[in-house]
Amino acid sequence: MSLKISSYCKINNDSISLNGKIMFKNEDKEESLTRSIYKFMDLSYPKFYKMDILSKYGFLASEMLISNQETLKTYEDDAVVLIFANSNSSTLTDLKYQETIASEKPSPSPSLFVYTLPNILLGEIAIRNKWYGENMFFVLPNFDAKFLVNYAAAILKKSDTKACLIAWVDVKEKKNDVFLCSIEKNEQNISNTLEFNEKNLTQIYLA
Amino acid sequence: MIYIGAENIISPIGKTAFENFENLKKGNTGIKFYKNIGFDEKDLYLSKIEDENYQNAEKKFDYLIINSIQDSLSQAQNFNISDENVLILISSTKGNIDKLNIENEDFSLVTSALNIQQHFNLKHTPKIISNACISGIMAINTANNLIESGMYKHIIVTGADIVSDFVLWGFQSLFAISDEPCQPFDKNRKGITMGEAVGTVIVSEDEDIFKEKPLKLLAGVSTNDANHISGPSRTGEGLFRAIQKTLSKNNIKKDEIDFISGHGTATNFNDEMESIAFSRLEMLEIPINSLKAFYGHTLGAAGLIESIISMQSIRQNVLIKSLGFEEEGTSHTLNLLKENKETEVNCILKTAAGFGGCNAALIIKK
Repeated sequence: MSLKISSYCKINNDSISLNGKIMFKNEDKEESLTRSIYKFMDLSYPKFYKMDILSKYGFLASEMLISNQETLKTYEDDAVVLIFANSNSSTLTDLKYQETIASEKPSPSPSLFVYTLPNILLGEIAIRNKWYGENMFFVLPNFDAKFLVNYAAAILKKSDTKACLIAWVDVKEKKNDVFLCSIEKNEQNISNTLEFNEKNLTQIYLA
Repeated sequence: MIYIGAENIISPIGKTAFENFENLKKGNTGIKFYKNIGFDEKDLYLSKIEDENYQNAEKKFDYLIINSIQDSLSQAQNFNISDENVLILISSTKGNIDKLNIENEDFSLVTSALNIQQHFNLKHTPKIISNACISGIMAINTANNLIESGMYKHIIVTGADIVSDFVLWGFQSLFAISDEPCQPFDKNRKGITMGEAVGTVIVSEDEDIFKEKPLKLLAGVSTNDANHISGPSRTGEGLFRAIQKTLSKNNIKKDEIDFISGHGTATNFNDEMESIAFSRLEMLEIPINSLKAFYGHTLGAAGLIESIISMQSIRQNVLIKSLGFEEEGTSHTLNLLKENKETEVNCILKTAAGFGGCNAALIIKK
């Protein structure tokens, strides 16, 4: 079985790129990057505004990639697996929610509390795409290409699993590290593809 | 074949899997009444570990995991935890969340993983799985997948969560906490009781590392409802698919399943959703329980400790009653265990569902 990296998307502190090409750079310092990308992509999805920062970044990267990778839309509704990871879990939202319970007049926010689980992001992407497949969230010290390649390869061995999205979505106060790629079995004629291995995954993550 | 054994649970009702099972057989619960403990100084029920060493531990989460792994290791032989081919998988939602916002304290899950690596002198940093309430089942299934991939030979799967204001108040804000001990699947259920515990198992391709004969792990899959981030699916779609796929992947027919260890959080929607999924699967006849009225909802530990109790059920041929269940309260009639039952137990199904719309299942066999 040959596995290919069919597409990849990155969001850094001021821009979003697809397959190494910058698609949008935020010049407007007043507007948040997530909102600017949402507008640039001309999305109409009110649920976006309710998401926390981790989900917003992961969601936008997935929208950019999926809307440009037609093959992903051709599979059964449970054939695409989500394998996401980061090192800071949902920390920014944890701190925001903590403020609602640690103040003098505490009032725990249910809408923030729900997002104090990193896998909520997987739910958001599953809901958007009506995907019922496997969904996994790892918390790791660093982007661990070797581990992710081995785990994804094990999951993709199943005949009914056709593709997976591997993502590293780590959001800190002043630094975003958002990377998402699609891995597909080479059953379709996917053009411009890289072999899915540790070296190539590391290379596009660092690119 | 992949084996599972060397199980441990540390909870309010015991420090070994055996001790926990003995207490369950006697009907002893870890849930107690606490005054002024919730948000707004509400009186609530919790399943809390009151052991002094635990209460005084610098980091409660790390303390639980280290002690639980130690007990599992004492049940293994010819096994070196520091070997290249050994990995620890940790299942947790919030780790040391009680340390959030305390100066000079690091509450992060990664820091716990590094502490545990240092404590046991591990070759690899433990990998953490944080998939809400299905984390424990996901971790066991992942251990299976990683061993099959050839990356590791033995995986220690451990999972814990502690009781914290952070989580308790959050569930209170969602009106999901019961003001009485939780009553899974009962007509009068009012929601969740929170709990804390740790569970550990060793998953291995080598039968001989276990001092006591291990059981067979038939790993399952996870699914997503693709429906709502915090509410269970009204049709049970994700759970339905997770169980169906877990059975077919392992070539197990539903009449081979002797017992189902359900999720049963005692919220209205979750328990109803489970009854719908089991009805669609035509599995309503199979004996089922929820252990939440013994342990409360232990989040990242739940899938592990409930799988471990099922393992004890297989070893001892005793099924544990579904404490708190008195009157039917779901639209489809489940075969809830009203009393403990001595019966041959060969094959069990463990299921769970959680926030983010996730569901998972696994099978364990004699």
